[in-house]
Amino acid sequence: MSESKLLVRGAGKYVDDIKLPNMLYMAVARSPHARARLLSVKGGLNHSDLKAIVGGGGEGWAGPTNPAMAHPVFAMDTVNYVGQPVAAVFAEDRYEAEDKLDEVEAEYEKLKPIMTIDEALSGEPLHAGTKSNVIMQRWLGADFEDPSSAVVLEDEFSVARIVNNPLETRGLIADYDGSNLTVYISTQAVFGIKAGLTSTLKLDPSKVRVIQADTGGAFGSKSALYPEYIMAAYAAIKYKRPVKWIESRSEHLAASQPGRGVRGKMKIFADKDGKVTGWRGEVLVDAGAFGGSAGSMSPFFIGMQLTGPYGIEKAHVLATSVMTNKPPQGPYRGAGRPEAAFFRERMMDLLADELKMEADEVRLINTTTENFKSPLGLEIEASRPFFTKAVSDLKYREKSQSDKAGLGFFVLLSAIWGGESARIDVQDGKVNVWLGGNQHGQEHYVFVKKLLNEELGIPQDKVTLNHGDTGMLKDGVGSWGSRSAVVGGAAIIAAARKLKKQVENKEGNYTIENLLKSNYSSEVYENQNVQLNSFGAVLATVKIDKFGMVKVTECAGCYDVGRALNPKMIESQIIGGTIQGIGQVLYEEVVHDTEGKLLTKNLFDAGLPIAENMPKFTIQIVEHPSKMPHHARGLGEAPTIGVPVAVVRAIERVSGKRMRHTPVKPQELIV
Amino acid sequence: MKKVKTSFKVNGKYVELELEPRRLLVSVLREDLGLTGTHNACDTTNCGACTILVDGKAVKSCTMLGVQANGKEILTIEGLTKEGDLHPLQKAFIEKQGLQCGFCTPGMIMSSFWMLSQNRDFSDEEIKRMLSGNLCRCTGYNGIVESIKYAKDLMRKKGGE
Repeated sequence: MSESKLLVRGAGKYVDDIKLPNMLYMAVARSPHARARLLSVKGGLNHSDLKAIVGGGGEGWAGPTNPAMAHPVFAMDTVNYVGQPVAAVFAEDRYEAEDKLDEVEAEYEKLKPIMTIDEALSGEPLHAGTKSNVIMQRWLGADFEDPSSAVVLEDEFSVARIVNNPLETRGLIADYDGSNLTVYISTQAVFGIKAGLTSTLKLDPSKVRVIQADTGGAFGSKSALYPEYIMAAYAAIKYKRPVKWIESRSEHLAASQPGRGVRGKMKIFADKDGKVTGWRGEVLVDAGAFGGSAGSMSPFFIGMQLTGPYGIEKAHVLATSVMTNKPPQGPYRGAGRPEAAFFRERMMDLLADELKMEADEVRLINTTTENFKSPLGLEIEASRPFFTKAVSDLKYREKSQSDKAGLGFFVLLSAIWGGESARIDVQDGKVNVWLGGNQHGQEHYVFVKKLLNEELGIPQDKVTLNHGDTGMLKDGVGSWGSRSAVVGGAAIIAAARKLKKQVENKEGNYTIENLLKSNYSSEVYENQNVQLNSFGAVLATVKIDKFGMVKVTECAGCYDVGRALNPKMIESQIIGGTIQGIGQVLYEEVVHDTEGKLLTKNLFDAGLPIAENMPKFTIQIVEHPSKMPHHARGLGEAPTIGVPVAVVRAIERVSGKRMRHTPVKPQELIV
Repeated sequence: MKKVKTSFKVNGKYVELELEPRRLLVSVLREDLGLTGTHNACDTTNCGACTILVDGKAVKSCTMLGVQANGKEILTIEGLTKEGDLHPLQKAFIEKQGLQCGFCTPGMIMSSFWMLSQNRDFSDEEIKRMLSGNLCRCTGYNGIVESIKYAKDLMRKKGGE
């Protein structure tokens, strides 16, 4: 990924900026129906050329629980969402490729689509060979006898689907030289893409290389393997010409994998003093048309986080995902964490109101003073010290009185499992680095240079962090789940220490001169099998006008980052994530009508926040060291977890109306 | 498709092209002229990643056909860097974290360039209003507003020297 000094000149190399000789452009013919039998398809490449299902890869990939639920590369007998790829056409230029879409003829017999979770649960199975539309269903925790508590509260919530909408859409170039396939791609994870391509097309892994182009944002949408990637690779091999595919925005809205789309039913038991004594819950995920992507895992992941930063001893949760005639669900910044926090914190606010307690009081009594493992499997450190400090730093009581502020408390579970790889090469006095996870706007090169300087004394201007490249590392994971500075950083340190030993063995002692005068190479894969969490708290205030329009006036956040490796980027991540959190509550949603047609047609419809939506920001950084060698904790997703909770509470307090879903629309708030 | 002779000035250089009339200016800049700093992100004039200057005014180059550029003077992000020296706006975007992934950045800088060319002061609210045609998904805009204010300071200092 190019550094900022190149990007501000427009000199980055995003995938659409790469032009290879003799390159073909691909356009994709897509289903106009949410559910139909595909009676015939003629023209372009289609399932008569390649009958295959999309193989695994990327964040949250768990594989379909039944092969009949798998996403085909080209639609075969049926289509199951508007935008599902049916055929691909190729031409010398993008305009001509779009023209050629007219040559694809597909005949459909429309079927009644399943558009809601309830229809999915009660309706006929979408896919032949399956008994129901349930992808996964699992109990978490243990059943318990209802406590004889003073208060029992029940409620239901929902979080609508949101399209990730990075400013750069998806895209790749597949280039085949008669023996080797090289793929240039906008991605969070070159290794996942490689694994998926090789397994789907049955290619020899030693002949496939995936290289990351500069990547213009992702927010979860660019880790998965998508059918279009397989089509482009297949066509490059078939036609022996490079093939480029750049997604249009309308394709992104229709057929990338949106996030959220979750319902929760919660029932809690509590004592008069606010101590929660039991938690029952049901999590229902609208996983879209096929199993295998995030929907195979997200209900479990949401369920296991439901008790969050609180020491709740009894919990029992049913986690379910179902298929509907929408594009498959994918991760969107937070990926289950914001949903869990929304359900939990809404209940904590309900409890506070029921007991006429302050929102911070009811939370404080449920915090822990020791490490705690919840019955649902979440491991946290003592949350009370952080919460006590955060409430005071954020001046919650004061702003609760003066502005009816909302408060949210959460724990961010970083996806550090699987670890990460790093390679450091020293050649001709220069230091080149590769990481298994691939930055797409987070400036990983800053922490890489900083840590190498600390570990080995290498001057920062000698170090280059290169693009993700499966040709340069044996294996790797990816950038998502607030993991990269944590696991990528740990891998860099391990690789640096290995390098130091090499120098000591050769020269007798380590000095920077000894390192830079010879050539060295060091590669590591650092696995991590612990849970690593960070706490955060957010306060929000809002104003609502007589038309129901909400303006978030202030968002103050207190975040534990373990150690601030790149303070300017931390601030930028928090502010960017805050705006996305506000977007979720006030503006963003992807909407299908009852027939499954996509009503969200452009970025304006999608509701991306604009500069005028900015509140006043106040940011407090806490550095409570983690057990990692560089003491860092995850951050990237934190604001998208905490901000919606606080903003929704503020809206509830100012409007006096109970809030149970996002987005909150102006018509709900008109007095 | 019949092609139409089109000529215009881009970043100070005169170009003459044979263009299909349907081709958008953003495609012409990127594909025919290799000026890939101007980005295409939405096709619907929502996002502003393709913002350039046409005869001194900020224009989204996906709303204009290439042939409509005939006789015009165009400035793209590549034209802001003079002999390798970054424009104060480019320096400011680095210094004040006006970017993360960099994809909206050329358009943001070109819109900001137009604003700074107006030779008057803008309040924070006016800057935000001015940015309403440019979307950023990463930064939350705060760094961009700070960058524009800082660039104004840098230019004022330079002017005063």
